[in-house]
Amino acid sequence: MHRRTFLATTASGVAVAAFPAVLRAQGADTIKIGFPGPLTGPFGALAKDQQQGAIVAMEEINAKGGVLGKKLEILFRDDQLKPAVGAQRTKELIENEQCEFVVGGLAAHVQMAINEQTKKAKKLFISVSQSDEISAKPDLGPLTFHEALNPTITGRAVGSWVAENLGRKWWIIYADYAWGKQNHAVFGEVLKKHGGTLLGSTPYPLGSAEFSAHLPKIVAAKPEVLITVTPGADNIAFLKQAISFGLKKEMKIAQPLHWLPQLKEGGPDLYADIYASTNFFWELEDTIPEAKNYVGLYRKKFNTPAGDYGAYAYSAIHEVARGVTLAKTVNSDAVAAALIANPVYNHYKGKQWWRACDHKAFQDLWIVKGRERSKMKGEWDLVEIVKRIPGNQELDRTCAEKGFA
Amino acid sequence: MKSALDQRNRAAPVLTRWIARRPVVAFVVVFAVFPFVVPYKALATQVLIYGLFALGFNLLYGYTGLLSFGHAAYWGLGAYGTGIALAKLKVGSLWLALGAGLGLAVLGGAVIGFFCLRRRGIYFAMLTLAFAQLLYFVGFHLADWTGGDDGLRGIDVPPLRLPGITIPLDTSLAFYYFAFGLVALAVAALKRILDSPFGAVLQAIRENSGRAAACGYDIGRVKHLSFVFSALFAGLAGALDALRLNVVPIESLYWTTSGQVVIMTLLGGAGTFFGPFVGAATFLVLEDRLAIFTESWPLVIGAIFMAFVLFLPKGIWGTLLARFGA
Repeated sequence: MHRRTFLATTASGVAVAAFPAVLRAQGADTIKIGFPGPLTGPFGALAKDQQQGAIVAMEEINAKGGVLGKKLEILFRDDQLKPAVGAQRTKELIENEQCEFVVGGLAAHVQMAINEQTKKAKKLFISVSQSDEISAKPDLGPLTFHEALNPTITGRAVGSWVAENLGRKWWIIYADYAWGKQNHAVFGEVLKKHGGTLLGSTPYPLGSAEFSAHLPKIVAAKPEVLITVTPGADNIAFLKQAISFGLKKEMKIAQPLHWLPQLKEGGPDLYADIYASTNFFWELEDTIPEAKNYVGLYRKKFNTPAGDYGAYAYSAIHEVARGVTLAKTVNSDAVAAALIANPVYNHYKGKQWWRACDHKAFQDLWIVKGRERSKMKGEWDLVEIVKRIPGNQELDRTCAEKGFA
Repeated sequence: MKSALDQRNRAAPVLTRWIARRPVVAFVVVFAVFPFVVPYKALATQVLIYGLFALGFNLLYGYTGLLSFGHAAYWGLGAYGTGIALAKLKVGSLWLALGAGLGLAVLGGAVIGFFCLRRRGIYFAMLTLAFAQLLYFVGFHLADWTGGDDGLRGIDVPPLRLPGITIPLDTSLAFYYFAFGLVALAVAALKRILDSPFGAVLQAIRENSGRAAACGYDIGRVKHLSFVFSALFAGLAGALDALRLNVVPIESLYWTTSGQVVIMTLLGGAGTFFGPFVGAATFLVLEDRLAIFTESWPLVIGAIFMAFVLFLPKGIWGTLLARFGA
């Protein structure tokens, strides 16, 4: 290496390293919220929806003068869907950027790694994606809050509705990892409670693209309902193969969740008549004023309808702001205490509340069904709402079951 | 004017040579102030720990000439050993927990080395990879112990107990200097190993293993020992990382972790004493800063890596050494 190249490299390295100090000098009058999420990778579309939901909340709050006279500022970081990166990013946000709060984390394993950092730094963390463990012992910390639904709630809600309306002879196919296994266990329990029969289950390795070997066995068993627990790209791969094998004509198909970005990617030919639950669908704007406000702001800013996971982020940012306003300080302990003392809130879809023992948000959810192409009124008109399931603590495990006496 | 230029021209080689001759002193000086040079302290700790990991890998690849693609195994064993001791077995002693991680990594290195060293070249590399992936699947399915794909959580770091004094490690800076102390010991140990006759045999094996054997050295035993030492350093790094993050993700055992250490070592300069630290620092600081501004940071680091492999195959530190004749 030539001396000049060496000097140039060193100089640019120093400049890069010194850059955050320059940025930091500007932000003294803001309340900073760190937001790690998998902006790159297979859940990128969901993470982007969350980022946009958070931005909508921030701008809405700042337009009304901010919180305690200060503007909110959200710092987004890519955690690459890796726990170690999520943990490192959270350290950076708290230590280097002096974020007072952390919201974010998509996928259970990353949010729990983030949670360990916020627990250590004693900062409030609102998790905005599914996990059963995060609101149970030993993961829940005194400052951990869980805004999203979890596998137990969606499994029980979808399972009960399916057993009551579509049939009680099931087959379950599930990805063989934590989320898949949890769902498999919950659906199995629900079916038993309804006196149904589980004809069989197929675990498959997560990330598999080839399902043809499993399909004949499923058809031969003649279940009334096939429950598919196939996340991300697996879902689209599985449904394509299942439909071309004729499964849709032989049985009903249901799954724990529909995600708007995924429905859009797969399209109505794949998702028509497939049942699932969701925490939010933008057409709720027709019936719920808070939904109308959120969807309107989101559409104005990003020119697309708001998704489901983005709404969690929108609500969580509002909860941080509400907590700070109530506590009149950015101290995490005081904010957490204020939220638990005033547990009821309503930001985008009706009443929600925090349960004191596990800091879990209880909320309405909806059973939805994929629309047929011929019945769609626009490209985003992807599902129809079948039934509202009101928020109910009975749907989750009890405080005692989660380890809180 | 001219003399000032001359002086500057001389400064870099003198510094490079000084560092190369007194590596342990240089390490202590540089890393004593390192947390105040980088943007934040947790990043300094990360560089320190990955630098140690790369140092261990470099002992095997850079000095002995054996390319392992499975160093995630020893990193992961160290991390899980320490993590499980603290989170599951509730061992209250930091030293005992570190010992558990080191013990597991050394055991893994001894057993896996025993089998892999029966083959050479690509077969050796693939065997190390296969063993590491095997451990990954074991870790994935032993969820009661490892947390499976949710990762191992709940690792509480006990305070550091030294004779007469107890220091809590809950601040970033305290933990950095704790890790710094251990990594400095490891660096001194490596220097001692390389300066010993054993170290000379390692390099003889790298240059010409047939000739080393002809000289009467039991090269099988020497290679195996080098493998175990390498696993020990990687295991210590993994154990420290478990304490640093309070979690052990399942990716610790995944092949991408093995790939990362290869990249860091080559970027810094394989077969040089400081290359691994320079590589780890370059990689991690670039990643940390670039990722804030662009989602395509891997593209930038990938391009830099390729440029080095194609045009400066000795890596950053190796090139400096070669240029300034140290």
